[in-house]
Amino acid sequence: MNKKEFLGRLSELIKDISEEEKKDILFDYEEHFRIGLEKGRKEEEIAASLGDPKVIAKQSRASCILKKAEKTTSVNNIVRAIFAAVGLGFFNLVIVLGPAIGLIGILVSLFATAFAVTISGVAVLFGTLMGPVFAWNIYIPFTAAVSIPLGIGLTALGLLFIIGVFYLTKFFYKLSIGYLKMNLQIITNRRNTR
Amino acid sequence: MNIQFKKGVLELCVLSMLEREVCYGYELVNEISKSISISEGTIYPLLRRLKSEELVTTYLQESQEGPPRKYYKLTELGRKKEEELKKEWFTFIKNVNNFLKGSEKNE
Repeated sequence: MNKKEFLGRLSELIKDISEEEKKDILFDYEEHFRIGLEKGRKEEEIAASLGDPKVIAKQSRASCILKKAEKTTSVNNIVRAIFAAVGLGFFNLVIVLGPAIGLIGILVSLFATAFAVTISGVAVLFGTLMGPVFAWNIYIPFTAAVSIPLGIGLTALGLLFIIGVFYLTKFFYKLSIGYLKMNLQIITNRRNTR
Repeated sequence: MNIQFKKGVLELCVLSMLEREVCYGYELVNEISKSISISEGTIYPLLRRLKSEELVTTYLQESQEGPPRKYYKLTELGRKKEEELKKEWFTFIKNVNNFLKGSEKNE
């Protein structure tokens, strides 16, 4: 592989990160080639000692995408960061994807519970108030004096629950970023020393 | 050398070299690969990480031979980190050496 092929492959492999970061990364390798050539080495020799562009691209991509997820909170960004980390090897498939699926499962079930509590509160409230009006045949085993406060209480509890889960999601987000960062550190150190 | 030994030592080597002098990327790669066999390309992602952790800063400087080069310089934070890692490393080595000597006597 000569200089042009090496940089071309690398550039192709990191095309989905921001233009600025990409330029920055390619600049480093261009400089490396340039100085190597000045020292009298051959392009092919330099490319060979740099190693596989795939390995370099994977590491560079993972840290760029992670940085982005840290700066702007979004589901899309964290999902991309997780997949970039998983792409770093089989080890990560277990150590990253496993916990990620677990966390998402917990959050989804908590959201569902919170939603169900809210809905049931609304149902009790409306059932009590509207039941007699529309002559619905709903059985509510309490008198209105109990079921109205109960309905309001359940609705409020459900809403608080939703807000709570929302904050928990944010907390998990930060935690995941921290975890991915640590993971990337370990992986980069390991990859560097073959 | 065993992979496990080299694991994690690279960061210390880079920091330690920068502690002695300001370097450009090629120099760093070249010097370090004299002592440790590494795939050279992966030192740049490491440098980018050190930069994003604010352990090093970079600046461009003209060279006699041609276009400007990117130089890496240790920050105050980097200096502290280097000291810390170096201390850990020497303690580790000492303990392992003591252990190995001890097990030799027992044989």
